[in-house]
Amino acid sequence: MSRVVISHLGVRVGTRALLEDVSIALEAGEWLTVIGPNGAGKTTLVETVAGIRRASGGSVQIGEADVTDMTERERARLVSLVPQHPEAPSGMSVTDYVDLGRLARRGWMRGVSGEDRRAVASVLERLGLVDFAERDVASLSGGERQRAVLGRAMAQSAPVMVLDEPITGLDLRHQMEFLELLRREVSECGLAVLATLHDVTLAGQFADRLVLLDSGRVVLDGPAREVVRSAELAACYGMDLRVVEIDGADVVVPVRRRD
Amino acid sequence: MITSPPTRRRVVVVAVGAATLLVAAVLGGLVIGPTPIGVGHVVGDVLSHLGLGRSTLTPLQSTILWQLRAPRMVLGVLAGAMLAVAGGAYQGVFRNPLADPYLLGVAAGAGLGATFAIVHSGGLATPAWTPLLAFAGALAAVAATWLVGGRGQRANSSTLILAGVAVSSLLTSAQTFLQQSSSNSIARVYIWLLGSLATASWHSVVMVLPYVVAGTATCLAAARALDVMSVGEDESRSLGLPVRRVRLLVVLASSLGTAAVVSAVGLIGFVGIIVPRLVRLLVGTSYRRILPISVVGGAAFLVLCDTIARTVLAPSELPIGVVTALVGAPVFVIVLNVRRARGA
Repeated sequence: MSRVVISHLGVRVGTRALLEDVSIALEAGEWLTVIGPNGAGKTTLVETVAGIRRASGGSVQIGEADVTDMTERERARLVSLVPQHPEAPSGMSVTDYVDLGRLARRGWMRGVSGEDRRAVASVLERLGLVDFAERDVASLSGGERQRAVLGRAMAQSAPVMVLDEPITGLDLRHQMEFLELLRREVSECGLAVLATLHDVTLAGQFADRLVLLDSGRVVLDGPAREVVRSAELAACYGMDLRVVEIDGADVVVPVRRRD
Repeated sequence: MITSPPTRRRVVVVAVGAATLLVAAVLGGLVIGPTPIGVGHVVGDVLSHLGLGRSTLTPLQSTILWQLRAPRMVLGVLAGAMLAVAGGAYQGVFRNPLADPYLLGVAAGAGLGATFAIVHSGGLATPAWTPLLAFAGALAAVAATWLVGGRGQRANSSTLILAGVAVSSLLTSAQTFLQQSSSNSIARVYIWLLGSLATASWHSVVMVLPYVVAGTATCLAAARALDVMSVGEDESRSLGLPVRRVRLLVVLASSLGTAAVVSAVGLIGFVGIIVPRLVRLLVGTSYRRILPISVVGGAAFLVLCDTIARTVLAPSELPIGVVTALVGAPVFVIVLNVRRARGA
């Protein structure tokens, strides 16, 4: 299936390196979450894999193909994106919004086909969005809107999905709900997921593997439990962290220094 | 607060309304003038050309109708349709409600070309090659804008608009310099800049037609892509839209069509901004609705304005650019306020 191999990826802007020599591999049906402090290069990594940003070195292979030198359409058939700050165009219905994901399948000059309609309907149903189908996407609440964004990415039917801080701004229940929906797609459809998250505890609970990124470099890459409990994690954030186990789940708690 | 996009029924009502307005405007334009010609006579004459019955027009009336008013009407339809659809397409591609082809240098370039032709003609009339130079000036200006701001990895809508503003300023200052240096042609330059359909002929219709058809068709074909671009350039690319190619296509088609129109009728302002915006307020944000209705609405609006321009001060004419703004601005403000009052 579609193995994702990021090798020696570098991104620079002028003389500043945003990513340096990043190598990560990811299997179909695997969920990998990238964690790290602000400015570590998480968004840059996601944007480069999604083709919004150009790599200045290295490659991103999906299956046999190198994503970095593909047309937009070819890439969109392999990688879907849930951006950090998605635009919610007012006046567009949720159905039409999710249907944007079908663009790469049909080509931008073509009209919506019966197959597109079926695909969109099935996504709306999977995400519990059927009642919102005709609503204006700009009028949705944060949780509903983020589900619509996930729906759009699912409608691309790409084997790989990248997500940039997808639960930012959602309340606790909607955060969990979103991550559970994504988990189901990974297990049931064999989706390969590359996500960034700020919440280390949630990252550890949902991802199969964690990659710790700092200053554009991979510091640690391993099973969630190992990375969460590593000394490097606290070092990267430059603070004291305690890991508490609750019902088998690792909870990472920052501890205030009292000197 | 709207929670769902405008209904299909509303869209149909607006589309039929625009089409009705266009038919009424064209008929009105043919009938109204210093020489009154009744609607019955016009219809009778059209039928007689189809071999049904006999025309009741005198030869002079027939000439006025078919050689003066009809080409003027057709040119008005073409110009209005092109300016409106080009403006709408630009607003989609640049995601900016104030964008239209004028912004990237079409207006300034055409102005400079026309001024050059008029100033260097020596005679008292506006020379016949004025449209040609205006057309060349418009296209050269857009090409310059594209070379400055539209190429390379970093190019995006903002860099292109900034480049357009820079190129326009440069060309406008050159145009002003040229205009001031030759005092006896200032009036003619000024009249050209404000736009007029007074010199319309079947010849100018034929010259403009292919550009308008190609330009309009391309803009309409891009409507789906413009709907996608409402989520922004980066997201559009991630969805598989070749953003650069679409932008180039729309800029090329709209500029070519607008340049052709401007070279024939001068710088008619406001149509490209106001018509698509008005349509958008009425039928929602999808360009698959906005653009086709703007074609019809723009044509109706310009023909209506032209009829006003040539009748209120008859036998002299108002520049049509004055009328488009004078009629358009209040209508625009009213619709804007009504929509806002409804909370939409």
